[in-house]
Amino acid sequence: MFKLTKVIAQNASALSGISKNARLLSTAAVRYSSSTATTNSPSANAIDSNPDEPIQISNPFEKERKVCILCKHNITPDYKNVKLLSQFQSPYTGRIYGRHITGLCKQKQEDVEKAIRRAQHCALMPTYHKDLEFLKDPKLFDPEKPIRPHKY
Amino acid sequence: MPSYELFLVLRQMSRPELVSALKRTAESILDKGGIIRRLQNLGSRALPYKISEQGLVHREGTYFAINFDAAPAKISDLKEEFGRDVDIIRRNVYKMEEPEKYECTLHEEMLPPAYRKDVQDMIEIAKRKQKPKYNYNSGLDYYPFQK
Repeated sequence: MFKLTKVIAQNASALSGISKNARLLSTAAVRYSSSTATTNSPSANAIDSNPDEPIQISNPFEKERKVCILCKHNITPDYKNVKLLSQFQSPYTGRIYGRHITGLCKQKQEDVEKAIRRAQHCALMPTYHKDLEFLKDPKLFDPEKPIRPHKY
Repeated sequence: MPSYELFLVLRQMSRPELVSALKRTAESILDKGGIIRRLQNLGSRALPYKISEQGLVHREGTYFAINFDAAPAKISDLKEEFGRDVDIIRRNVYKMEEPEKYECTLHEEMLPPAYRKDVQDMIEIAKRKQKPKYNYNSGLDYYPFQK
């Protein structure tokens, strides 16, 4: 019986403590709301001076703009420039590599294809193989690893 | 007068013959009222493929490029004249045009399909082509159209 009363007494003291805390919290909330109300009042200087305000910056996750290799060096393909054009030709079949392999933009790929076709018509470039002179030229891209999956 | 470029492949000849063939082509341009701006000798070498022209099979050739201005109406006459020339293996006249200025579009092309302009246009066209569909939840207890 004595034990029970003791427990009740302890609980009561704890309860009173909680209620005290709650009162404290409520007063703090009132104080906080009053302070925010003062800052929300129309005074732009107060907001600017606040170091915790968010700063306007450009998107830090934005990726760098991709530019194709011919646009980067500002090259317009010419049909007489056979050494350049032969780099876009397959050494095995003489066919022109597609855009998914060359990694050129639409316009440049079109220009390159037109120039190669012209060069072949002018007997400057072979049609069924790559010129043996240019077989060991440095590679601009790897046909085994296209930048986009193949269309078919 | 627009600018043109004549690309010539002449057959393998001795030097005086070559000079006379070149003179002939140049004079035919001048006779048509054209202006020759530049003449480039691109050297002689083995052709990348054999070419049969005027009843002969050619395996070697000499390359020339002539930049000239001429009236557009005269170009077909010039081509016809060069076509009859025995010494010329290949003759191609190309119009010289200033390359148009444009921005590289590779970045836009590499975006995922949903963000690409051409794909968005395609989706728009497909939506426009779709017929209006009858909704079965419109309250009618029968199908109002012929089945």
